[in-house]
Amino acid sequence: MIWQQIANGIATGAVYALTTLGLTMVYGVLRVLHVAHAGVYALGAYVGLWAFRFTGNFWIGLVVAMAACALAGVLIERFLYAPLLHLPRIIPLIASIGLFIAMEEAFRIVAGPYALAYDAEVRFGSLALGPLRLTGPQTLILTVTLVLLGLLWLLLSRSKVGLAMRATAMDAEITSSFGVNTRAIIALNFLIGSAMAGAAGALIGVYDNQVWPTMGSVPAYKCLAIVVLGGLGNIPGSVLASFLIGLAETLLIGIVAIPFPRDALAFVAMILVLMFRPYGLLGRA
Amino acid sequence: MLSGYVVTVLITIGIYVILALSLNMITGYAGQISLGHAAFMGIGAYTSALLYTRAEFSFWPAFLVAGLVAGAVGAVLAIPCLRVREDFLAITTMGINFVVEATFLYVPFFGAGMGIGGINPPSLFGSEISKPGFLLLVIGVIAAVITVDRWLARSWIGLAWAAIREDEAAAGTMGIDVVRFKVLAFTLGSAGAGLAGSLYAHFLTFIMPVNFGFGQSIVILSMVVFGGIGTLRGPIVGAILLGALPEFSRPAMEYRTLLYGILLLLLMRYQPDGILGERSLLVRGWHALRQQAAPMKN
Amino acid sequence: MGQKIVNRTGILIVLAAIATFVTAPALAQEAIKIGFFAPITGPAAADGASAQHAVELGVKEVNATGGIKGKKVELIVYDDRFSPQEAVAIANKLIEKDQVAGVVSGSYSGPTRVTAPIFAKAGVPMVAGYAVHPDVTKAGESNFRNGFLGEVEGGAAGEYAVKVLKSKTPAVIYMDNDFGREISAGFIKRAQKLGAAIVARQVYKFPGEKDFRPFLTRIKEARPDLIFAAGYYNEAALIVRQAKELGITVQILGEEGFDSPKFIELAGKDAEGVIIATNLDRDDPRPVVQNFLKNYKQAYNYDPDMVGASSYDAFKILVAAIEKAGTDRKAVIKALMDTRDYNGLTGKLTRFVKGEVIKPVQFQIVKDGKFRRHGVVDNPEVITPPTQ
Repeated sequence: MIWQQIANGIATGAVYALTTLGLTMVYGVLRVLHVAHAGVYALGAYVGLWAFRFTGNFWIGLVVAMAACALAGVLIERFLYAPLLHLPRIIPLIASIGLFIAMEEAFRIVAGPYALAYDAEVRFGSLALGPLRLTGPQTLILTVTLVLLGLLWLLLSRSKVGLAMRATAMDAEITSSFGVNTRAIIALNFLIGSAMAGAAGALIGVYDNQVWPTMGSVPAYKCLAIVVLGGLGNIPGSVLASFLIGLAETLLIGIVAIPFPRDALAFVAMILVLMFRPYGLLGRA
Repeated sequence: MLSGYVVTVLITIGIYVILALSLNMITGYAGQISLGHAAFMGIGAYTSALLYTRAEFSFWPAFLVAGLVAGAVGAVLAIPCLRVREDFLAITTMGINFVVEATFLYVPFFGAGMGIGGINPPSLFGSEISKPGFLLLVIGVIAAVITVDRWLARSWIGLAWAAIREDEAAAGTMGIDVVRFKVLAFTLGSAGAGLAGSLYAHFLTFIMPVNFGFGQSIVILSMVVFGGIGTLRGPIVGAILLGALPEFSRPAMEYRTLLYGILLLLLMRYQPDGILGERSLLVRGWHALRQQAAPMKN
Repeated sequence: MGQKIVNRTGILIVLAAIATFVTAPALAQEAIKIGFFAPITGPAAADGASAQHAVELGVKEVNATGGIKGKKVELIVYDDRFSPQEAVAIANKLIEKDQVAGVVSGSYSGPTRVTAPIFAKAGVPMVAGYAVHPDVTKAGESNFRNGFLGEVEGGAAGEYAVKVLKSKTPAVIYMDNDFGREISAGFIKRAQKLGAAIVARQVYKFPGEKDFRPFLTRIKEARPDLIFAAGYYNEAALIVRQAKELGITVQILGEEGFDSPKFIELAGKDAEGVIIATNLDRDDPRPVVQNFLKNYKQAYNYDPDMVGASSYDAFKILVAAIEKAGTDRKAVIKALMDTRDYNGLTGKLTRFVKGEVIKPVQFQIVKDGKFRRHGVVDNPEVITPPTQ
């Protein structure tokens, strides 16, 4: 049983990493508690589903979802956050919450209140790594997450744009003084981060075979917590935090069998970590 | 006379006014962002409900104990909050909210998923107070909270909070005991939430853990920011407007929650200081009017 | 003879025409108001929509067949957003401003539970469609419930699991809210009484849980011969899919939360063979059932679910009482108490016991993507609600 639970934990960690990835990028450059990221995630699921129904091809649906979310992300950055950046952080937070509520309601009004099946047949075989056995869907989610992480790593570490993005995340003012157009870099971060959210929405829609208006409610707070635990937009930190939280939750539920909800267990773990590392796992003061 | 319906809505709004004012002490005055205020409202509500239904306390002592317990728990939970700042603090307070809610939901002593019922409205001189009576009680509590708020604002405590809010490190070097004043903010704010929670429990007569979740914290925080954070009038007006909105938006039927989201978004975008914050359109307009009027008097 | 009949019919038609003519304006003024609240926006909006659709269908039917004693029914609909404080305001508004003859709750336990004492105090009859909290009916004699108590439905499921499905070592998985806790307790109590041993018991967070694999892995380890699963259809579909994914092949027995065509859609082929306890029997030949299934689908282009059917029944039970007693609230409450052998959509209701229904618990199986009759539990020992 312990191996199956570890596999379950890794898969849950992959789900968290996938959903959080985009938010980490956005957070890294803007330092906004972007709750509406979860709205973009749900938008990705809906657009992906519609495009899939229209074309009959899951992968086309995925690309369309990413494109739509990239656009949504750029618009949100341009028209909502950019004018609010010089203000106390609580202002963009409340604006973001307002946007998120409006998006959830808009999905319900447009697509109906009921959950929709996302029955794209994306089948992966089960995967055995020694005693560790991942089921088909678990293999799918882990593979996709690792591929996207790899692509992102290549972009950030091997390209000039990536260098500029990392520099902007570290210190936008200094980077700007070196002649980098940090405005464009921030927008690019939003574009890529939101496309990632769209991919996550569509993939997790298929993984669970359901898309519904409030599917973003849990990721809305959970992803923020993971990003912060990872250390202020530090990408490796948030990936590490995702897998740690996924494993910790699953093992506490599945092995130790503490009768306490998943989120509460995760938050207890987070608060304990923050007591020892007040700037997150890989964050610096 | 006001109808029972209007009184009911006014009581709900009044309870939110207390919640918003108490959160304003923590987040507005002392500058410590909290995404978990509903947890302390819940602690107050559950304390009062348990004392009333199981320990045969009457409302009045239960109400006071609810404030004390919520304040004490707020002081204890402020300790982990001292280690972290800004967004880390936001997430820590949010985590506290989830843990507190889960405790109510999973520990049988707190009624778990069944909630606690049979929490009657307060009695005075042997008979249950009427709904308008309850409203007067809520208004009385609001008046008390405002008095404390004004006293704090004029005292050293208010100055120390302002210093911590503007620059924590500088406040420390000036000799302000940052830890003590932060804990004080969390204690007083949580105690206020506890009193509001007690009123909420005896008003609804039945409470469930979900009433004190993260969503409720967001509602309270939105009221504070909507009205104008860090002022006295702001949270009051924010709680009144957003507290009355559910009723006034009834004709919009299935669009009413959408409307709420859009309103929040637009106000933050164009009036980030809130409706009555220092730099808001209304307040600046008021000052401009007064300046214009002043020379005319001379 | 024939001539006479024609004459008489003719006279009747004329009389009817005159009656309509004379009473038409009066009708518009004197509509009978019935209050209704449900979560129409916010996180629980799907069930709110089902309840609202079904009750509005009921209103149309009643008005199309002449209303209640010639008076039209006017439904006053409010959105409670799944919030108890909004529900309290709504209850007061329905009582004072709208002066309704009675109220139908199409909402969940929380909002229904806080309004119950208010309706009780005002003496306004309230029939809850599917709210499950046991205290809803305990606030006073004006409150009634059309749905089953969790304990009753769970007990019937326990009975069915042991006696019909021959389970000796069932496992239980349920959500942490009032319904999950009540229904699983009912199941466990009955199954143990009949000699079964519960081999695993898992509780998950509602709402929010989507990954049931850690729980199911534990259940698999305990080697049960049946899994009793409680949840609403979103969770139910995930439980069923993830159980198959982990190679669990034992019979899954669900409850009324599974009872939605959405469950079958979301669970896909993994839904096949799942048995559920519910109150709606799709293979019941009575016209009240078959007409509802047909008319609902026609009106909304969806198949109805348990939430809709239960709310529809709650409305129709209230209408029947008003038909019998007029609009005097006290008389309506009395008429509701005196309900006997009511021919309901969700089963034949023998009578109310302290506001709780006595009617058989239905068992449906998913076959070829449809709910089909599997059996019924009508053992009075099980289906009679506890009275303490």
